[in-house]
Amino acid sequence: MALDYFVLVFIAAIGVYQIASIPAGLRGLWFFRQHKVQYFFGILAILGVFGWFYTSEERNIQHTVEGAQQLWLFLGAIVFAYFINAILASVIQAAVSKRGDSPIRGKQQDRGMETLKTMTLLDGILSSWRKKKGIED
Amino acid sequence: MPPLSGWTLWITGFVGKAPALDHVMGFLANDFFVPVAIALIMLGLWIGHPDLTRRGQLQKAIMNASVAIGISTLVVRTLNVFDFWPRPFLVDDIVIRESATYAAQTVFYLPHDPSFPSNAATISFAAATGIWFSHRTAGAVLYFIAFLWVFARFYAGIHFAVDLAGGVMIGIVTSTMISKVFMPRTEPVPTWALKLGRFLYLA
Repeated sequence: MALDYFVLVFIAAIGVYQIASIPAGLRGLWFFRQHKVQYFFGILAILGVFGWFYTSEERNIQHTVEGAQQLWLFLGAIVFAYFINAILASVIQAAVSKRGDSPIRGKQQDRGMETLKTMTLLDGILSSWRKKKGIED
Repeated sequence: MPPLSGWTLWITGFVGKAPALDHVMGFLANDFFVPVAIALIMLGLWIGHPDLTRRGQLQKAIMNASVAIGISTLVVRTLNVFDFWPRPFLVDDIVIRESATYAAQTVFYLPHDPSFPSNAATISFAAATGIWFSHRTAGAVLYFIAFLWVFARFYAGIHFAVDLAGGVMIGIVTSTMISKVFMPRTEPVPTWALKLGRFLYLA
């Protein structure tokens, strides 16, 4: 049950990141260029994983995943999903840029999530590292 | 026996008459569906605003709501020590007990933890109240979802109305105190937490 719950939250969180990153303009989290495709993917991920969770087993039973454990599993799953989402998006966008399409580039505006408006997570980390080492971009 | 226990007898009388409704209520009463839905909406709010300043305000509201959920859960745990009354399917009144037992077995399951106050009502209304102070629309949606969860648990015969009302009150009052009194006085700690989140690309 704990593993199922972790998978439920992990995949649903990726769906939420895909949907919510569109209005926020956090392009560093995008898997797709077309917003419609990204919305569709996000909704499909959420509905799909909830469908799997509730049809694979009877869930209204006395279980062992109590409140505190649910909280830690949830926090772990959303943070893990965030970094997996950001790394996947970095890899996808790097692959796209190699094919000659317009890559996501720009100056690191601010530390944190705001950086993902202009670059991917891996680009952001590399940029911070270069600045720390005094290497020009 | 708590006050208004007759309401439990009335609501559980509907169970078994419409299997489709029982199925929907079972889904809503589930331990995972509504809390995950509420948390995912909060997650969407965490990253979903384009403006950096407004996003920061929403992230602080989500931190307030999260702290309120934790503190209100502690309040519930403390009150659980007193063991006010048993679950509806464990009371001495045989009519209420049998009706609630049938409802709980049909819609949900027979939980063993104390009846008063409802933990589900407490955490869901604490979350909704914390968000309401910063985002009215999202707060209203969360209140609606929280109400559905609470109602489904009443329908399932696992709580008396007083358990749910008590949970709702604890959730709202705790969240208001945390959002309006406690967290503003702990500044700059929430701001430091947000800065740490930014350093880790999480906020």
